[in-house]
Amino acid sequence: MVELHAPGVMEADRLSATLNALADPTRRAILEQLARGDASPTELAAPFDMSLAAVSKHLKVLERAGLLSRGREAQWRPCHLEASALRDAATWLERYRRFWDRSLDALADHLERVPRRRPR
Amino acid sequence: MKVDVPKGGDPVLVMEREFDAPRELVWAALTDPAQVMRWYGGQGFENPVCEMDVRPGGRWRHVMRTPDGAEHPLEYVFLEVKPPERLVWRTAGPAEGQGGPHDNTMTVTLTAAGERTRWRLVVEFRSHADREAALGMGFTRVLGEGCDKLQGLVKRR
Repeated sequence: MVELHAPGVMEADRLSATLNALADPTRRAILEQLARGDASPTELAAPFDMSLAAVSKHLKVLERAGLLSRGREAQWRPCHLEASALRDAATWLERYRRFWDRSLDALADHLERVPRRRPR
Repeated sequence: MKVDVPKGGDPVLVMEREFDAPRELVWAALTDPAQVMRWYGGQGFENPVCEMDVRPGGRWRHVMRTPDGAEHPLEYVFLEVKPPERLVWRTAGPAEGQGGPHDNTMTVTLTAAGERTRWRLVVEFRSHADREAALGMGFTRVLGEGCDKLQGLVKRR
């Protein structure tokens, strides 16, 4: 597979949703909490000075981005971290980093070949 | 991946490097299209098109050819041009304002260290105006520490 910093269109849409969902500190904190285990919306709201309604909005954003799924239990509906979307984002970022690593290696080689004009 | 959170609290991705060349040469290699074509993308990549209008508001139109022969048009707009130390450019064209991976602002700062040059690239994965970048410290912590844990969670299901 070609390592390119530009993902395909479909992948880009999904990544956009993921990265945008991750752009909020509250949502990142929610994900960190979920990485320790499933939790109810009430449990997730507890660390924040925030209404359950406000937390529910964040949960919806995370759910739309594919980062979170909800259980079927009528009362509890536990939130579950969907790690694959997070891994996709991590994979893309790693490719992006490699793109620049490669480019900067090539730039270093190029600079060795550029004739230097010494000052004075 | 080195991730740094500057004093202002803006979370960004940072890539640092030192080149054995004076700053003016690094600046030229970064802003002269004929030179950019030779290194952008790295080994195995070709750049059949590179047009740069290096001034604030000027465009950078680029086509990169990957080793499999596929061509990828890229378009950027320069935001700040301060030779030979600071160049800022942002995604333009169709990806502009979309958020996510294609909507980047990149800042290269060059610092002279004798005959060597320190390179610092800062990437913000959002529009320039939005200082809350996608890569928060919490996010990278989740990615860094969490990935193994997350793998475990997925396997357990």
